Amino acid sequence: MKREELEKLAKLGRIELRPEEEEKLQGDMENILNYFKELQEIPTEDVAPVAGGTSFFNVFRDDTPGEEIDGEAARMMFPETEDGFLKVPPVFSSEGEE
Amino acid sequence: MNLKELTVKSLHNGLVKKEFSAREVTYGFLDTIRAEDGEIGAYLSVLEDGALEQADRVDAMIKDGKEISLLSGVPLAIKDNMLIKGTRTTAASKILEYYEASYDATVIEKLKKENVVFLGKTNLDEFAMGASTENSGFHVTKNPHDTERVAGGSSGGSVAAVAAHMALAALGSDTGGSIRQPSAFCGVVGMKPTYSAVSRSGLIAMASSLDQIGPITKTVEDAEILFDVIKGKDKYDATSAEDEVIHRFRERAPEDVKKLKIGIPKEYFIDGMDNRVAHAVEEAIARLKTLGFTFEEISLPHAKYALAVYYIIMPAEVSANLARFEGVRYPGIPEVENEVNSLKDLYFKTRGTGFGAEPRRRILLGTYVLSAGYYDAYYAKAQKVRRLIRNDFEDAFRKVDVILAPVAPTPAFKIGEKASNPLEMYLSDIFTVQASLAGLPGISIPVKEYVMGSGELPIGFQLMGKPFHEADLFGIGKLYQKEG
Repeated sequence: MKREELEKLAKLGRIELRPEEEEKLQGDMENILNYFKELQEIPTEDVAPVAGGTSFFNVFRDDTPGEEIDGEAARMMFPETEDGFLKVPPVFSSEGEE
Repeated sequence: MNLKELTVKSLHNGLVKKEFSAREVTYGFLDTIRAEDGEIGAYLSVLEDGALEQADRVDAMIKDGKEISLLSGVPLAIKDNMLIKGTRTTAASKILEYYEASYDATVIEKLKKENVVFLGKTNLDEFAMGASTENSGFHVTKNPHDTERVAGGSSGGSVAAVAAHMALAALGSDTGGSIRQPSAFCGVVGMKPTYSAVSRSGLIAMASSLDQIGPITKTVEDAEILFDVIKGKDKYDATSAEDEVIHRFRERAPEDVKKLKIGIPKEYFIDGMDNRVAHAVEEAIARLKTLGFTFEEISLPHAKYALAVYYIIMPAEVSANLARFEGVRYPGIPEVENEVNSLKDLYFKTRGTGFGAEPRRRILLGTYVLSAGYYDAYYAKAQKVRRLIRNDFEDAFRKVDVILAPVAPTPAFKIGEKASNPLEMYLSDIFTVQASLAGLPGISIPVKEYVMGSGELPIGFQLMGKPFHEADLFGIGKLYQKEG
């Protein structure tokens, strides 16, 4: 796998790569993707894909209020809060967004 | 009381007859953890105070003459990807190092109602990604039978805790073999239920079309007792099946169990399989034949493609499930927090620093197989072959009731042996991913009793059943352990 391709994936996956791992990662990805090639030999034109682990269709529940989850316990886990709200760094940076 | 010989039922009888107290038993296990776990590394956190409180509650009930459930006072280890409210839950990842659960997983809630004792949270491959527990963000778990070898994974901590008598039983999770393979490596019983038989609410998700929670125990009977308590429809897990489906198939009488026909897939007994595994599985088959079981050769023609299918579908789901860890809703990573100046920066740095090598690799792989231009060749193709794998099982189950196979291609390997080659590590799952992709129940049972310190490495055999026919696997397993 080319370096640019790996870097593009890392960008999409929102992961900062560690420079020292990039070369090994390129090789590992190449090996793993090569292993997948054997699937191409199986004819699957008329095969319906399996999506998800069950064949359930439209699982509904009553639209009624249930027990409250413990909001305070969840908020305690936020890295930063202000007046009970979650606080995050600026969404827009001067470099522009992608 | 000998802690090593306790089972759920013998513990229960001892408590009811007041031969010992729940506190004594809990204290005994905590003592063993103190003495042994420095070497083994099964636990990430020990919940000593909570455990003793739970034990005291059971003792008070007994003292007051109240009836106690079978699992009351049973000391359990819980894989650290399941939430126990108010306790640290890390999934063995640095990205969750400071996370405390704000609610109970459904399985934990059910076990609390039974008054079990939670001894602690056990080690795993980070986010349950691995086959050796070497991928833990904190430490490696060693195999109690040979500490130079891996415990297997990803539920290596839970399995090692049970094998080394640091818990009476445990819960693990199995996505592609993570309960069954370490159980085989450490000589205990490990069972992955039918997909949708046990709620995953409060299980930190890895690959949602595959993840299942299941029991890890010393005996098949104990696995059955634990499974019966944790199974069931849950309104918090829309993929859990209805109770009448989960409970439809009851246990057969022992004489009917022996009428179950066992299939042996010819594709599983391939050239190049480790001799020790081949011999052990033959031994298990021979003993089952002596018990009166009949066998038939079957064919699962697409079995050999299962590993490739699994390693496409699973990372695709991983890349979606792990998107929620971005440094905003879970406690931050101290070395990152002071260095960011935008939200995007926080995402990249948190995920780059907090995830270990294997989660990073799987997120990238999942992103690749789902991305434009590759989706059809990889993800869509894998979903179709997954159908063919399921169809193979449906055909086979028209001829036989249960399928027997190896659990892993080798016994426990050496620590470090496969750590730097991910593809070789993935091959450890080659016999377990089929049941996962088809959503079938599977159980790993030790071929025989393996004595710690004898130098012999444990080997398990695997039984796979029809959907929701866990009772068949337990039925055969119990006969095997009692009469085999």
